Amino acid sequence: MTVNNKTLTPKMSLESMSHKAVYVAFIGVFILFSMTAEGFLNFDNFSNLIANKVVLLAIVALGMTIVIAAGGIDLSVGVSIDLASMAFIMMIGAGHNGVFAVIVAILVAACVGLTNSLLINKLKIDPFLATLGVLFIGKSVQQLATSGGVPIYLTKSEFAAPFEAITRTSLFGIPTPFLVLVACVIAVYLALHRGKFGRYVSALGAQPGVAKYSGIRVPFQLTLVFVSCSVLCGISGVLLSSTVRSYVPLAGDAFLLDAIGATFIGTAISKERKPSVFGTILGVLFLAMLRNGLLLLGLNFFWQQVGIGLLVFIVLGLSFGLRKRAE
Amino acid sequence: MKLQLFKSDMNSNGYTLQKMAIRLGAFAAFLGIMVFFAVTARGFTTSYNILNIIEQSTILGFLAFGITVVFIGTGTDVQKGGIDLSIAANAGLCAAVYAVLLERGYGDSLAIPAAIATGLCVGFLNGFAVVTLRIMPLLSTLAVMNIAAGLELAVTQNTVIGAASPLLDTLAFGKFLGISALAWCLIIGAALMVAIVHYSPVGLRLYSVGGNVEAAKSVGIYAGRYVYGSYLFSGFAAGAASILIVARLSASTPGTGLLLLPVLAAALLGAVFSRRFVPTIGGTLLAVLFIGALSNGFQLLGISSYWVSGVQGALILVVVAVTSFAKKS
Repeated sequence: MTVNNKTLTPKMSLESMSHKAVYVAFIGVFILFSMTAEGFLNFDNFSNLIANKVVLLAIVALGMTIVIAAGGIDLSVGVSIDLASMAFIMMIGAGHNGVFAVIVAILVAACVGLTNSLLINKLKIDPFLATLGVLFIGKSVQQLATSGGVPIYLTKSEFAAPFEAITRTSLFGIPTPFLVLVACVIAVYLALHRGKFGRYVSALGAQPGVAKYSGIRVPFQLTLVFVSCSVLCGISGVLLSSTVRSYVPLAGDAFLLDAIGATFIGTAISKERKPSVFGTILGVLFLAMLRNGLLLLGLNFFWQQVGIGLLVFIVLGLSFGLRKRAE
Repeated sequence: MKLQLFKSDMNSNGYTLQKMAIRLGAFAAFLGIMVFFAVTARGFTTSYNILNIIEQSTILGFLAFGITVVFIGTGTDVQKGGIDLSIAANAGLCAAVYAVLLERGYGDSLAIPAAIATGLCVGFLNGFAVVTLRIMPLLSTLAVMNIAAGLELAVTQNTVIGAASPLLDTLAFGKFLGISALAWCLIIGAALMVAIVHYSPVGLRLYSVGGNVEAAKSVGIYAGRYVYGSYLFSGFAAGAASILIVARLSASTPGTGLLLLPVLAAALLGAVFSRRFVPTIGGTLLAVLFIGALSNGFQLLGISSYWVSGVQGALILVVVAVTSFAKKS
């Protein structure tokens, strides 16, 4: 190795550059927006951005990170979000206690994950198809429960107490939803990067066959993976419905592609292209920053979408292209 | 095809019989549901209705063929293999380009090549990302999907753009031998696809690239070109489908991107209609007709449309689960 070190150096640096491409792009885009987009570099803008765009997506993307790390994918995150949100709003609307409503909502979301894992473990359906089926079924369930998709609004003051307890409170000046996100980040970080569960998950993601023969209870671990993903989505659903004080059917579908995108953007920072909590959060921030900056630049919604697609494409192209040349 | 037959003969005696039983399982499920509709839904079996189902399945079919070719050329492992999430958004963009050009007074002779070229450009972008830059297909085609969907909105300003031309009239209302033009498109398109994918050297090589890249490379196939080609073809399919979309609706409308999930479902479900559980054109065609027949049967039975997507989802799960069990035993 020492002999080859000299010849390897330029290649190694090219490869290490490929991991840094996401950071460079992140900082570059940040500086670009700070200079060009009026009102971007502003505390109110950032706190608003984090409260409204980052928290909900980040929690969902954390769940997606666990599933993708285990070699699967969960297309039904929107169903978990929506059903939790629906259960929460219906319970509050029926006059139940807020804490009870939150617990029921999260249990409902957990049932979605349980269904996914049953389909995958017992019926041996591929995760992509299993969660796709659940996505279709979840759409029908919501349409049937709301006579075709009529939103439920709880804007009357008699319902305000639980919503205010979730969105208007703060600890040391930090709003509760943000604290919830921090708690989720820490929990997923400990589980995925510091615990036995994380090693099992990586084994499943890398070599499911080997994982099975080395004594990992694959079905049990997969159940944990999918249930934890849907529970995280459920938390996001409760936060979503308490922010808007309503349940809008099929609103959760909007999170699916962003969550997948953020998770995979996050993989670009790791050498082995593995999903990680830090990478995913960076991906979420990157997407939110792009959307916010392009909006402040005065681009209309249509061109924003093109811009996000192009920028993500370029960043990934740099990251993956450099890596390829390094090989 | 010969190679596959030879291989199955090589295995134990029960092999073919067992596989036959599994194959019949998926077909039996399909037939059972058709019989159920034929008995319960009035008018389901009339030739008019059957043609109607085929006509309604044409657009889904063209898009599903595109994604099937991507699956064939890159393997069906969704996370590690290839996928084209941009196909539906691409079709929407092509339809928008086509409708806008017609509206501005350019004829079909310009608008159709432009729509197909748009599809090919998006397909090329996918191929460039996946083959040249080696970005994960799930991610790169997601980014391309955003680009295509955004461009569609920017071109149309999120409005319905009406379009009319002699060709569109022929496609929408024309009939030949009592079969409507759209249905002919599906029949001819499927026949061409079967000829190319299943009865030509190109198709065989495409399968070998998707089955095992290293093995394909070692026998001298330029694997990258075939993957590029499959994404280009997927873009072409989107362009072709876009003309049919505009013909069917006499306009380009927002929301074509929503076809993505049904298209994916059809292409993935198609694999259960093949002997070795690989994506095939015939399998995809059956899956598309299956999905089309389901919505049609429900409409005829007068069941609320809220149930349709749920029952489709459940049936996909049942069919896939039954096959995966049969495969194991």
